[in-house]
Amino acid sequence: MAEAAFPKVWKKSSKPHKFCPGCGQALALKILGYAIDELGIQNKMVYGCDIGCSLLTWDMFDVDTVQTHHGRVLPTMVGFKLAKPEAIVIAFMGDGGGYAIGAQHLINSAMRNDKVTVILINNANYAMTGGQMAPTTLIAEKTTTTPLGRKIENYGGPIHGPEMLSKIVSDDAYLARTISTNIEDCKEKIKKAFQNQIDSHGFSFVEILSMCPVNWHTNTQESLDFCEKEMVKIFPLGEFND
Amino acid sequence: MINILVAGEGGQGVQSIAKIINTSVDESSKESCYLPSFGVEQRGGVSLAFLRIDAKKILYPRFDKADIIAALCSRSIDSIKDYIKDDTFLIYDGSIVENSVLDQIKPKVKKYINILANNIAIKKYSVKSANMLMLGGVVAQLIDVNLSIIENNIKNEFKDKIAENPEIGTMNINAFHEGLNIAKSFDQSSEELVGKPAHEIKTEYKDDKKSWIRFPEYCKGCGLCLVRCPVQALHFSKEVGFLGNPLPEIDIDKCITCGQCEQICPDGAIKVEKS
Repeated sequence: MAEAAFPKVWKKSSKPHKFCPGCGQALALKILGYAIDELGIQNKMVYGCDIGCSLLTWDMFDVDTVQTHHGRVLPTMVGFKLAKPEAIVIAFMGDGGGYAIGAQHLINSAMRNDKVTVILINNANYAMTGGQMAPTTLIAEKTTTTPLGRKIENYGGPIHGPEMLSKIVSDDAYLARTISTNIEDCKEKIKKAFQNQIDSHGFSFVEILSMCPVNWHTNTQESLDFCEKEMVKIFPLGEFND
Repeated sequence: MINILVAGEGGQGVQSIAKIINTSVDESSKESCYLPSFGVEQRGGVSLAFLRIDAKKILYPRFDKADIIAALCSRSIDSIKDYIKDDTFLIYDGSIVENSVLDQIKPKVKKYINILANNIAIKKYSVKSANMLMLGGVVAQLIDVNLSIIENNIKNEFKDKIAENPEIGTMNINAFHEGLNIAKSFDQSSEELVGKPAHEIKTEYKDDKKSWIRFPEYCKGCGLCLVRCPVQALHFSKEVGFLGNPLPEIDIDKCITCGQCEQICPDGAIKVEKS
């Protein structure tokens, strides 16, 4: 008889999860779950999540989990990795936690080439608090704090994480950007990032473009279009440290 | 250690139930501690009573999960649902708690008793004795309790009212014993409270070559599957999911089993199978 249609590593008792209908982050987490299943690392890994929508994942997976505040998940997981090098650690964060309040940790961890995997969700706004402008908000995109659209002369342009990190990381780090709606590509890049850590090469970082229909005020088709057409123009997909 | 949670509307006698058990246990060899949690119930909040019984000294009677829960009204279900664990015993008043509300906690509850306390109390005693029936239901789950001590404490709790009308004492004690008997002879298999877990609730559309399975307890109606279907085999039906959202439905003849709907679903609510 048919079992539930989600990864084995997802905790059944906490489903349905708490994400909004049509959330791209939930989709990314499903792909992440399948990547964990395929690599068979469920019992070797520790999962850390940051604040924001990503904190809703604290009971998402059937693995040991820690939740921290305000961008501190990366140093916490780096500490865990130093204390227990055989563990596979993952720091899961949003664009606020990674590029704004926790940007210092991301940059320094990349510079130190810490052997951790960072998954960062880019949905172009601060979703949990009601859709304010984030570092990744596109030019002219309307948010609750930029009702006339983001202006480059006032706020600068959107941050390009993997490109920025590619200037400071060593050669064996893995940096990539993918999109949650392209399941195969997304899973492949997450698996590569994990493999980079498993092989002890160094820092691995995947930015996942994601949809936020609730705060974008878009319907299903418009959300997909904005993510797959508009965002991809500004944030090109690919690997950045070849 | 036994953790007991009693919940109901203000005025239903929630605190009386807990107080009577608390004083009855204190007089025997075990320790007992009771914490009333109310305040806004006069303006329409739910009144809770936390009670812990233990063989050793109790520092504070707050807990995360309860062993026994008594639910006296529909709204209390919302307050108690986080206290349910695998072996929690739920005692509820089926004449007041609505079935639609019970649906929320069905998958979690394994052991329960339904006492139609309000109906019985109105017919045989007085509506004010309904909580005594529920008290009987809770006491039936406890071992080593002296029924005569509980009877004395019931008389003690309502001594002012008994002084005005002596019948209240016997009425309450009779109601307590009736609740006790109902709880002891309750046949759980005759009722259908225990629900299926969410991943076992599904709607299947199939023909001889393929099947398309939908999990209504997971689907949030985002519509990504409809947009992604390359052959437009999916459309929204008139059925609703757990958020009151429309549920997708398939025209199984059109389906080419590409699996795109299953892959794109953020909630894991769709499964496509070739047979």
